Amino acid sequence: MEFLVIILSGVLFATAIYNLLQKQLLRIIIGTVLLSHGAHLMILTMGKLKRGQPPVLTEGVTQYTDPLPQALILTSIVISFGITSLILVLAYRTTQENKTDNMEQLRGNSNE
Amino acid sequence: MSNLAVLPIIIPLISAIILVFFNSKTNISRILTRAFSLIGLGVTGYIAWYVIENGSIILETGDWIAPYGIILVVDALSAILVLTTNIVAVACAFYAPHAGLGEKEKFYFYPFFFFLITGVSGAFITGDLFNLFVFFEVLLMASYALIVLGGDKIQFRESLKYLLINLFSSMLFVTAVAFLYGVVGTINMAQIAQRVAEVDQQGILTTIAMLLFFVFATKAALFPLYYWLPNSYVVPNPVVSALFGALLTKVGIYSIIRVFSLIFVHDIHLTHEFFIWIAGLSMIFGVVGALSTNNIKLIVAYNIIPAIGYIIMGIGIFNQEALSGSIYYLMQDMIVKAALFLLVGVIAYVAGTSDLRKMSGLIHHYPVLGWVLFAFAFVLAGIPPFSGFIGKLLLLEGAFADGEIVISIIALLTSLLILYSIIKIFIRGFWGDENAMKNLEKKSTKGLIAPIVFLLVTVVILGVGAEYFYPITDAIAAYLLDPQIYIDSVLKE
Amino acid sequence: MIYAVFAPLIFALFIPWISKFKNKVHTGIFVFLVPLVIFLYFVQFIGSDFSPIRETIQWIPSLGMNFDFYLDGLSLLFVLLISGIGALVVLYSIYYLSKSEKLGHFYVYLLMFMAAMLGVVLSDNVFVLYAFWELTSISSFLLIGYWNFKERSRYGALKSMMITVFGGLSLLGGFVLLTVITGTTSIQEMISQVDVILSSNYLPLIMAFILLGAFTKSAQFPFHIWLPDAMEAPTPVSAYLHSATMVKAGIFLVARFSPIFSTYEWFFITVSIVGIITLCWGSYMAVRQTDLKGILAFSTISQLGMIMAMLGFGTEAAVFAAIFHILNHATFKGSLFMIAGIIDHETGTRDIRKLGGLFTLMPISATLALFGTFSMAGVPFPFLNGFYSKELFFDSTLGLEGASWLAQAIPYLAVLGSIFTFVYSMYLFFGVFTGPKHLDQLPKKPHEAPIGMLISPIILVLGVILIGLFGDKLNQSFLLHAAQAVNSGVEYHEIYFWHGFITPFIMSLIVVGVGIILFLTMKKWTGVYNILPGRFSFNRVYDRIIEKLDSYSKGITNVYMTGSLKHYMAIILGTTIVVTFTYMYISNGFSISFDNLAEVTFIEVAVIVIIIIGAIATLFINNNIGAILVTGIVGYGVAIMFVLYRAPDLALTQLVVETISIALFLLCFYHLPKLRKREESTSSKLLNLFISGGFGLLIIMIGIAAHSTNLFDSISQYFVENSYKLGGGDNIVNVILVDMRGLDTLFEITVLGIAALAVFGLIKMKKKKEAE
Repeated sequence: MEFLVIILSGVLFATAIYNLLQKQLLRIIIGTVLLSHGAHLMILTMGKLKRGQPPVLTEGVTQYTDPLPQALILTSIVISFGITSLILVLAYRTTQENKTDNMEQLRGNSNE
Repeated sequence: MSNLAVLPIIIPLISAIILVFFNSKTNISRILTRAFSLIGLGVTGYIAWYVIENGSIILETGDWIAPYGIILVVDALSAILVLTTNIVAVACAFYAPHAGLGEKEKFYFYPFFFFLITGVSGAFITGDLFNLFVFFEVLLMASYALIVLGGDKIQFRESLKYLLINLFSSMLFVTAVAFLYGVVGTINMAQIAQRVAEVDQQGILTTIAMLLFFVFATKAALFPLYYWLPNSYVVPNPVVSALFGALLTKVGIYSIIRVFSLIFVHDIHLTHEFFIWIAGLSMIFGVVGALSTNNIKLIVAYNIIPAIGYIIMGIGIFNQEALSGSIYYLMQDMIVKAALFLLVGVIAYVAGTSDLRKMSGLIHHYPVLGWVLFAFAFVLAGIPPFSGFIGKLLLLEGAFADGEIVISIIALLTSLLILYSIIKIFIRGFWGDENAMKNLEKKSTKGLIAPIVFLLVTVVILGVGAEYFYPITDAIAAYLLDPQIYIDSVLKE
Repeated sequence: MIYAVFAPLIFALFIPWISKFKNKVHTGIFVFLVPLVIFLYFVQFIGSDFSPIRETIQWIPSLGMNFDFYLDGLSLLFVLLISGIGALVVLYSIYYLSKSEKLGHFYVYLLMFMAAMLGVVLSDNVFVLYAFWELTSISSFLLIGYWNFKERSRYGALKSMMITVFGGLSLLGGFVLLTVITGTTSIQEMISQVDVILSSNYLPLIMAFILLGAFTKSAQFPFHIWLPDAMEAPTPVSAYLHSATMVKAGIFLVARFSPIFSTYEWFFITVSIVGIITLCWGSYMAVRQTDLKGILAFSTISQLGMIMAMLGFGTEAAVFAAIFHILNHATFKGSLFMIAGIIDHETGTRDIRKLGGLFTLMPISATLALFGTFSMAGVPFPFLNGFYSKELFFDSTLGLEGASWLAQAIPYLAVLGSIFTFVYSMYLFFGVFTGPKHLDQLPKKPHEAPIGMLISPIILVLGVILIGLFGDKLNQSFLLHAAQAVNSGVEYHEIYFWHGFITPFIMSLIVVGVGIILFLTMKKWTGVYNILPGRFSFNRVYDRIIEKLDSYSKGITNVYMTGSLKHYMAIILGTTIVVTFTYMYISNGFSISFDNLAEVTFIEVAVIVIIIIGAIATLFINNNIGAILVTGIVGYGVAIMFVLYRAPDLALTQLVVETISIALFLLCFYHLPKLRKREESTSSKLLNLFISGGFGLLIIMIGIAAHSTNLFDSISQYFVENSYKLGGGDNIVNVILVDMRGLDTLFEITVLGIAALAVFGLIKMKKKKEAE
C-alpha cells in the first residue's frame, strides 16, 4: 500500500517537474502546486499509513497513526500556501510589466 | 541562561513586528532600525562571548525535552555566525537610509530586513531538521519580498526565477527530511546523528545525504547549481544584494557544514571527496564568471561562488586545519561580501552606471571610495594581513597535509583571478584621466562609506588579530570533528 | 631592527599631512631622512666580527606567524642596498618630481615599498616574509601606475601585478608545503631540517613553487616581460624598485633557500638554465631597444639572469661572485637609471634614435654614464667594479660538476650573453653622447642637469670606482658574511685586479673583442631581430592570455548563463538525478521489502488513479477552466487521501487551503494570458520527459528504500503518551503544533505574515504606479 502512495508521490513529482520545465508561466505555477502535493504525501507515507486510529486520544484505543508527520505536513501546507499566493501575485505583476507570460522571453540579457 | 538562545531569533522578530506598525513613518523606522540592529549586535556579541567561555547553550523550547521538542543549540559555530550576521545587519541598517531606496522604504523594507535576519539566525541556531526548513522558509520569504521591492520589469523577471528555483529546492528539502524520518524515525539533528552512527550510515542514508546536499548546495550556490544567483543578486537595491550575498548562500553552506560534520560522517570517502571536486569546479567556474562581465555588480555576485568553493573545500578535506580554515573563511566572507555589494552600490551610484566600460578616473573625485575598493581587492584575494589570508592559509595547510595538491593549486590560481577581477574595477574605473567622464556630477556619498569602512575594519581586525580568533575556529573545528560532543550536549546522556 | 622595518610605514602615515606643505618644502626632503637613518643604523653592523642577530615580536603565535627578524650577512647586504639606494633615490626624486605632482601619494607608496622590502629580507618567518613579499608587489603596482592617466602605465601596472602576484601565490604554496613537512615556520629551522625536506616526496613541487615565486619577481625568462613595461613608472622608481631592490627579492629568496636545495640536482639544472637563458636573452634583446629605459630594463633582466645562474651553480666561487655582483649591479645600474632620467628630464625624450652628441652639452652626466656603462660591460679597468664580478662569474662557470652537458655549455653561453652586454653598453653610451646631434627633434633644449639631481648618480659612480679600487676592503667585513649565509663553505679570497692570462681573463678579452666588432657593425646585423624573436614574443603570449581570459570566460559563461529558467532547472535537476542515482548505486542504497505494509482497499486505489490522471492531465489541458478543474481534482484528491489515512486535521486544512487557492487561481487566471498548447520540439520534449521521469523515479526509489529500511522506532510514541499528560490535549497533532513544536508554528505564521505583507506591497505598488 505504502508503495502505491510512494509511486503516486513520484508521479506528482514527475508531472510537477514537467510543468516546471515549460515556458508558460501558468503551467509552471501548476507545477509548483503539484510539487507540494507530492512532497506532503511523501511525508505522510514515511510515518507509515493506517497503523491505528486517527491521532485524537480516545478511550480504549492504544494504537494511533503517527502524529508527527501530520504536524509537519500541516506546517508545510500553510507555508506552501503562502508561497503559492505570493507566486500568483508575482506572476501576475511580472506578466503585466514585461508584457509576456513566456519564461523564455524573460531571459534577459544575462551578462550585461 | 539557556533562554539566551532564543534572543537572536526573537529580537529581530519583535523588531520586524514593531516596524510593521511604523511603516509609514520613515524617519522613526530608520532610527528604530538602527537601534534594533545595535541591540541585536550587542546581544549576539554577548552570547558569542558567553558560549565561547562557557560552552554551548541548549534550549529545549517549551520545556519539551530533547529529542521530542524543538531544541535550539547555540554552540560556538552558531554563535559566531549569528554574531557575524548581526555585524552585517548593522552595516546594512546604517547604509539603508542613504541607499536611495526612496518609496521602497514604505513598502515594509525594514520589517522584511528584520524578518530576514530572524530566518538566518534561526537557521544557524536550530537543532531540529524540520525547524531548519521552517527557518529557511522565513528567510526565503523575506528574501522574496525584498527582491521584488521596487518592482521594475527586470526585478520581477529575476525574482520569479529566484523564487521558483528556491521553491523547488525547499520542497525537495521537506521530502528529504521525510525520507530521513522514514529511516531513522526522528528529526532532531542530534538524535539523527546518533542513530545514523549506530547503523554506520547504511547505503540509503548516504543517498538521502546526497539529496540533502543538493538542497543545501542549491541555496549555497555551488557548482553546478548556482545559475539562479548572479542575475538575481544584481537586480535589487545594493542593501538587499549585500544582505543576500552575505547571508543567504552562507546559510546553505552552514547547513552543509552542520549536516556533514554531525550526521553524515561515516562514509567520508564517498561523500566528502566529492565535495572537493565540487569545490574546485565552483572556484573555476565562479571566477570565470566574474571575469566574463563588465558589470561591476555582477563581478561581485560571481565572486560569491569561488568563496563558497573555498569553504566547501575545507569540508571536503575534513581535517582540523581545513575545517578551521573553512569556518574562518565563512565568517570573513560574510562581511566581505556584504561590504563589496555595498561598495559597488556606491560606485554604480556615483558613476551613474554599473558598466565598467563607461567608467574612468573616479579616484580623482572619490578617493576614499577608490582606496576602500583597492583594499577589498586584496581582502578578497586573501593577501595578508587581511582575514582572507588566514582562512586560505589554514585551508592550504589542511589540503597539503592530506596530499590534496590539485585543489590547492586551483585555489591559489583562483585567488589570482579573483584579484584580477576586482583590481580591474580599480584600474579601469578609478584610474585614468581626471576628466575622462564628462557628465559626472558630484554626488554626496554621505553615510554610505562609513558602514563599508566599518566592515573593512572588522575584516582587518579578523586578519591582524587572528591570534584571538584562530583559537576559536580551531576549537570549533575540533568540536565539529567529534560529533559526540554535540550529541551528548543535546541528548544529555 | 623591528623599528627599522616599521619606521617607513609609520612615517608614511604622516605623509598626507606633510604633503600639505609641499608648496613650501618638497615632501621628499622629510622622506629622505627615513632611509638615511635606517642606513646609518645598519652600517654599524659591518665588521669582521659580525654575527647574526634575531629579534622577535609575537603576532599570531598559534599559527606560527611572528615578526621574527633575523639579520645575517645576506640580509645586511640587502638592507644596506635598500636603505642606501633608497636614500639616494629619494634625494634624486626631490629634483625629478615637481611640486605640482601628487607627491603625497608617491612618497607613501615609496615608503610602503621600503618597509615591505626590508621586511622581505629580514623576516625569518615564511608567512611574514610572504606578507611583505606581496606588499612589495602592491606598492610596485601603485608606483608603476603613478601616472595612471597614461594607458601604458595602467597596462604595465596590471601586468607586473598579475605576474608577481602569481609568483607570490606560488611561493605561498611552497611555504605552506614546507611548513606542513617541517612543522616550523622559521627559515633557519627549515634549513636545519634539510634532510627531512630532501627526503620528502613533495621536494620537486616545493622547489617549483618557490622558484616560480623567485623567477617572476626577479624577471627571469620567460616571466621577464613585466619589467620593460614597468618602466612606465617615474624614473626614481625604476632605479629603485625595478633595478636595485625589488627585482632582487627573487635573487634573495633563491640565495636564502640555497642551503636547502643546493644538493638537489634539479635545483642546479633549473636555476642555472633559467639564469643563463635570461642572461643571453636579456642582453640580446637590449640591443634592439630604442627607449633608454627599455635598454636598461632588458639589461637589468640580463644581469639578474647572471646572478641567478651563479646561485644555481652554487659553488663557493659562484656564490661569492653572485653576492659581489648584487652590490656592483646596484651601483652602476642605479646611476645609469638616474642618468637616463636626467636625459629624459632635460631633453624631453628617451628615444635613443633622437638623441646623440650630448657629451658637450651634458658633460657631467656623460662622464658618469661612461663609468656606468663601461663597468656594466665588464671592460677590464681596475677602477670599474663590474669587471671584477664579471671575471669572477666567468671563473665560476668553469669546471662545474653535475649534469655534464649543461656544465659544458655554460661557459660558452656566459660569453655569448656577455658579448651582447658589451654591445648594448657601448650602444647606450655612444648612441646618446657621441655622434650627430638632432637638436631640432628634441622637445626641449638640452643642458646639464641641476646639481641636486646629479648628487645621487655621482655618489653611485663613486661607489663603482671605490669598489673597483678597494673592493677587498669590503670583502672580509661584509661580503664574506653575506656569501657564507648562502653557502657556508665560502672562504676568504682576496679580490684583486690582475690574475694573469687565465681562462676568465681570456673570456673577457673575447667579449671585448667580439663586442667591439659587433658594435661597429651593428647596423648590418640588426636584421636578425626580424627572424628571432621576429613576430613572436612573450608579451604577445601574456596579452593573448589576458585577452583570452576575458573572451573565453565570456564565452563559457554565456553558454550556461542563458537566463532561461528552463535551462537552470534542467541543469540542477539533471545533476541531482545523475549524482544521487550514482550514489545510490555505489553505496548499495536501494532495497525493497514487502513486509510491514498496510493493506490495499479499492477506494484508495481509485483515488490514487484519479489523482494520477489529474496530474497527467495538467500537461495536456489547454484551457484555463480545465486547468483549474484538474488542479482542483488533484488537490481535493489529496485531501481525500488524508481522510483515508486518518489525518482529519490535514484533510480539513487541505480542503480550506485548496479552496482559497482555487479562488486565487481564478483571479490570477483571469488576468494571465490563456493557456496555449505546449510548444516543444521533439528533442526538448524528450529531454523534459527524461528529466521529469528520472526525478520521479529517483523519488520513488528512495521512498521505497527508505520505507523498507525502517531502522528505528519513531519518536512519536512519546507524543501519544504525553499529549494529554503534559500537553493537556486530546488531539495529538494539535498539541504537537501548538506546544511541542510551537516554534515551527510561530514561524509558519511569520512566513504567512511576510507573504501577506509582500502581496500587499506588490499590489500597493501597482496602484501607486497606475496613479502616476
